[in-house]
Amino acid sequence: MKKIFLFLSLLLSASVWAAAQVTLTASVDKNTLTLDDEITLSVRVTGASGNVIMPQLPSLPAFNVYSQEMEQSTINGNTTLEFRYVLLPRFAGQATIGAVTFKHNGKTYKTAPISIRIYRNAQILPAAQQRARVKTVEKADPSLPPLEASLANQAYARGDEKYFLISAVSNKTPYVNEPFMLAVRFYYTQQFYEAPYQKPSVTNLFMQSATTAQGSQVIGGILYRYQEQRYLLVAANAGTAEIGPASVQYQTGSSPLSAFDRLFGGAAISEVKTAESAPITIQVRALPAGGKPDSFYGAVGKDYTLSAHADPVNVEAGEAVNVTVTVKGPDNLKSTGDLNFPPMNGFKVYPAAPESGSLPSSNGSALGYKTFKTVIVPSASGVYMVPSVKWSYFNPQTKTYQTLHTNPIKLTVTPSTKTENGFNFASASNTSNGLQTLGSDVRYLKTAYAPESGILAKLPQYKQLNAFFLFLLAASALFAAIGKKSIAQKRAFSDAKRALKQANTEEAVADAVSAYLQKKLHISTGSLPLKSILAALKQHGVKPSTVEAFSLLWQRLDAARFAPGANDSATNLSTQALDVLKLLEEETR
Amino acid sequence: MTRKLLLFAAAGLLLLANSLWAQNGMEQAEEAYRQGKFSAALGLYEEELKNRPNDPFVYYNIGNCYFKMGSKGLAAANYYRAFKLAPRDSDIRHNLSFALSSGGERFVPAGMPVVLHQAFFALSYEELQGLFLLLFWISCTLGSVWLVKRKFGRVLATVVIVFMLCGGWLWWRHTLETEPLAVVAAPSAEIRSGPGTNFPASATAAQGHLLLVLDGKDSWYNVIVKSQGLKGWVEKSAVEKI
Repeated sequence: MKKIFLFLSLLLSASVWAAAQVTLTASVDKNTLTLDDEITLSVRVTGASGNVIMPQLPSLPAFNVYSQEMEQSTINGNTTLEFRYVLLPRFAGQATIGAVTFKHNGKTYKTAPISIRIYRNAQILPAAQQRARVKTVEKADPSLPPLEASLANQAYARGDEKYFLISAVSNKTPYVNEPFMLAVRFYYTQQFYEAPYQKPSVTNLFMQSATTAQGSQVIGGILYRYQEQRYLLVAANAGTAEIGPASVQYQTGSSPLSAFDRLFGGAAISEVKTAESAPITIQVRALPAGGKPDSFYGAVGKDYTLSAHADPVNVEAGEAVNVTVTVKGPDNLKSTGDLNFPPMNGFKVYPAAPESGSLPSSNGSALGYKTFKTVIVPSASGVYMVPSVKWSYFNPQTKTYQTLHTNPIKLTVTPSTKTENGFNFASASNTSNGLQTLGSDVRYLKTAYAPESGILAKLPQYKQLNAFFLFLLAASALFAAIGKKSIAQKRAFSDAKRALKQANTEEAVADAVSAYLQKKLHISTGSLPLKSILAALKQHGVKPSTVEAFSLLWQRLDAARFAPGANDSATNLSTQALDVLKLLEEETR
Repeated sequence: MTRKLLLFAAAGLLLLANSLWAQNGMEQAEEAYRQGKFSAALGLYEEELKNRPNDPFVYYNIGNCYFKMGSKGLAAANYYRAFKLAPRDSDIRHNLSFALSSGGERFVPAGMPVVLHQAFFALSYEELQGLFLLLFWISCTLGSVWLVKRKFGRVLATVVIVFMLCGGWLWWRHTLETEPLAVVAAPSAEIRSGPGTNFPASATAAQGHLLLVLDGKDSWYNVIVKSQGLKGWVEKSAVEKI
């Protein structure tokens, strides 16, 4: 038991000692260099805790400290501090970086000195050193976003240059109006002076500056710094688009001057160089025509949001209400079309010009907004709903059109109290009789069924009667053409009989007899002498005795007409005429 | 006797119940309409239409529901159906005119006096057919009298002239009645040069525009936009035939 306790105590003590152990190391990225080169001294402190004082560099007569930076990392509770110093050689020859000292918790730690060989130019560098410079190209972390990875990989591939300019885009096959990012980075490992930048030219693209940034990247063990400019691009038409080269003209104070010259007035006699990025070709895809909604105004992207609000929501009739519809999302909204505000019955609508702008970026992507403001003026009191507004966009990831909706907004409108002296909504519609037209709408419902249709509308149901009336007409026409005369002949005797019964003068008797002859035998007595009448009777087959009797009757009628009251009375004549007509009727049947 | 009375009472009750139920449907629909539930009101009116397929007021109310729901094309189509059945009703005329004007169409043709338009549509097509028949029958009767008795000649001549004028009026109305009209029911209809989306669109017609349907092929109509005289093809789903 004692042995076990002793063992554990020793183990604990060792752990505490190990944890408290501070180590200090110093290293350089190369031991040989030329005057126009630089060297990075890395001082690593491991295990120090609490307040840490920076390591103290030794005197460096052969170098000038160009920059320094610190990096801290903690693994399993063990903190490591790394201080990096970029040193510029001042003259050729053998140089030594003396011991770096570090004080912690009253203890002083020191590193071993490092020997450095500085050559005047590259030709003198040993062949092994030259070979060592041929490095394998590093690759970017695959988990990086495509744009970052592309930039990092391009930078790794050009790690043997001290200054270079690269560019990359986040999407090489965007859709029309789909925003994508262009990043241009200027990498450098040494100081430069006055570097005018020429941004890239573009064709078939709209370009606007987005963000600027600075950063650093270790390439082949060398710390590179970079300045970055980002642009937001949007393609106007489908097809090919081009991004030309960007360029930086920078002035260096190095070659062919010595480091000494560079440090003491080198800027005045510097060299001007140009770094240029490679051009980029973009293939712009057209938006699918199928399924394009009416509420699509040209926005392409994802994660858009749509909102609407009205202010105020309680108003008097004739007062203005501001309705604001806001779209937020990728920063390509400026080029999209204006929203068609749905019509509102009972309101006058005054759309205002839309506003658009940029929002703070999120995750490196530019964001924007577009606001559509509309002033609506209710013309009468009541409770109204501002209808839902639709706004669609094309999502390039799902390759579909998606539609956003706002919620309807309730407006409560009270009767106007300002028509006397204040706002008069429909002053133009005032009439002299005091009637004020506020608006128009469809008339109200019919609350009952329509009345039964009238008799006229029902008549077409009796179309079969047409046949009857047509038959009637045809029969009448036939009768008029054929049967009318024979009927008259048949009726001649009965008509004459009736007339004779009613006759009270000799003349009426004569007329009845004449009418009979006219209807029955078509003999016109008015213009014919008696002789001709008798001849006509004979032609119709009347017996001679009957002709004689008619002759006597006619003579008596003539005598009675020309000497009334002389001989026979009208009654006698009527009786005699009836007898004669009976004979005629029988004989001419 | 008692049995007959019972049967008579039962039949009377059935008729009364049917009448009350029908009225109840109209009232329910109106109540929904008043509450702003236009879709519900529309469903109830369409049920009513099954019982009374030729009631102009039901068509009118359906048009109102569509109008309030924002479908001015369908509203115009139903107002038009109501107008055909009851052309003298001022509410129907007003709403049809209002719905058409919101789509850029004119109810009364340009240059035609409103009074003349009202006179032309003073009778429904069925009433005009009835008038024509009545005049025909009167003409036949008077013609028969004149043929037999040679009487009422002047009256007959007047009636025949009126009958012929009525025939002309009926012929004109018949051409309008049988005109294959349609209205744009979708928010807008693309007018293409052929029956398919592979043909380019030459224009768009907004909701409520009147179309004259000339022909049909698959899911497309060959149409003429009445107000513009523009000819092309539109998808059947975008229009409503009247």
